[in-house]
Amino acid sequence: MNLIVRLGAVALALVPLAQLSAQDEAGKLTIGGYGEVHYSNSTGPDTPGLVNVKRFVIYAGYAFNDRITLHSELELEDTKIEGGQSGGEVALEQAYLDYRFSNAFTLRTGLLLPPIGIINETHEPPSFNGVERPDFDNDVIPTTWRDIGVGAVGQIPGVNGLSYRVFLVNGLKAEGFTAEQGIREGRQEGKEASFANPSFTGRVEYAQAGLKVGGSFWYGGTANQVPGLGTGAFDAPVLVVMGDARYDNGPFMLRAVAGTIEVYDADKINAVYGQGVGRRIAGGYVEGGYNLLGFLAPKSSQRLNAFVRYDHYDTQAKAAAGTPDDAALARRITTFGLTYKPLWNVAFKADYQLCDNQAGVGENEVLALGVGYQF
Amino acid sequence: MGIRRDWLLWSLVGFLLTSHVSRLTAQDAPAKKVQASLARVFGDGALADTVKVDDAPVLRVERADSLLGYAVVRNVKGKDQPITFLVAVDPGDHLKDVDILVYREPYGGEVAYDSWRKQFRGKTAQDPMEVGKDIRSISGATISVNSVTVAVRKAVADLTAWHAAGKLQ
Repeated sequence: MNLIVRLGAVALALVPLAQLSAQDEAGKLTIGGYGEVHYSNSTGPDTPGLVNVKRFVIYAGYAFNDRITLHSELELEDTKIEGGQSGGEVALEQAYLDYRFSNAFTLRTGLLLPPIGIINETHEPPSFNGVERPDFDNDVIPTTWRDIGVGAVGQIPGVNGLSYRVFLVNGLKAEGFTAEQGIREGRQEGKEASFANPSFTGRVEYAQAGLKVGGSFWYGGTANQVPGLGTGAFDAPVLVVMGDARYDNGPFMLRAVAGTIEVYDADKINAVYGQGVGRRIAGGYVEGGYNLLGFLAPKSSQRLNAFVRYDHYDTQAKAAAGTPDDAALARRITTFGLTYKPLWNVAFKADYQLCDNQAGVGENEVLALGVGYQF
Repeated sequence: MGIRRDWLLWSLVGFLLTSHVSRLTAQDAPAKKVQASLARVFGDGALADTVKVDDAPVLRVERADSLLGYAVVRNVKGKDQPITFLVAVDPGDHLKDVDILVYREPYGGEVAYDSWRKQFRGKTAQDPMEVGKDIRSISGATISVNSVTVAVRKAVADLTAWHAAGKLQ
């Protein structure tokens, strides 16, 4: 009884605090988010147009104090999940604590984003041209790639513009590797993830006004102690090496990503799982854009970007020993379209894609429309 | 046993109260950071005194009785954390420099780089100071770039207006 009264006193003491944080004048709690709604229509007689709320993401951040902060994103894909139906996903996309010691060193722990390429870290829809993310950022770099780990981020002292991020994270599982999408389904995404193969990932980046270039890597085993692949921490290793560049001088925009993924024991992995994953997965994309309002309406602060992107990649750039090379996996995708941005954080998009491959089979064209926002 | 439980409960209450108080004061820039920033922008020996304008503190910077300019320290929200920055102008209302005093966000710290900040030097309240026009963005730092640019534009406009109204004496 006595204890209940005292607990009640504690609860009462907490009430005003709870109200304060809900009002949160000081901005300690932040709600944000981003989302995108898509329409797409492939050529062909049996391909009706599709509309979809591709992503709806709620962001919550909290500053425990000036140095310790929480950042989280909860994502809903395809509007809902329903038993027995395919598609749809509710997922925690990020949830990490930052402990900032100095500009050169912030400790980051939790579910975090490997800093590989451009889109994996910066994927808010108004930040990129095109309705869908570049295909390279789906089939080669498996965005949104997130895993659980610990590491450090910061600016490299003494060199203005240079920064780094480096993390120890849970590894990929070879079980999910495929010929078409490489390592994509090998991600564990922090769901009761096996830590049999601790992996390293990191990035060094140089930035100036209008320019950013970066190099990133991932290295780790994927065997997950499966017979035939090995029990060591670095058995069935995968190495990812990517380079990227972004240039933006006002009206002109240019960006490019290129790199390679080495699946060293692809033959052993295919012997166990039979999925035909490539020994090497490689390629990239390059995209140029121009803000038409720069000369149509120079006074306007809105943007109308005309852009063209060329994706060129092969998930069997080198087929594994014992696996026939499928030329249809050597993909070439040209995307051109418009992005209208009345504000920097709202985008209306339209594009047309020409999808081609080295085998010349299953060629396809896609019209896509979309809206995206972030706040 | 009962005493021990009391102690635990009241410690908890005390901790929650004090942690809350520390949160309320968390967004100030340390005084020595402001000092170092003023010395960097105006040179060694720059001394600042505070002028209150409509309850807002403005730093009036002098060296040996000659006026070097004015500065304000403000916060602007980035994606989810306040960015504490300083804007300094010379006596002719030209922007001398922008300094990022405390940056707390996980991404977007590029706004503290000299290559980005130097774009503001020499601007006046008549300049657009607009991202994509006279201020180049940094990819991957879009939110911080936009919020700091808007806040700097506002700070220069305020300082210029206060100066013209004779409020900075």
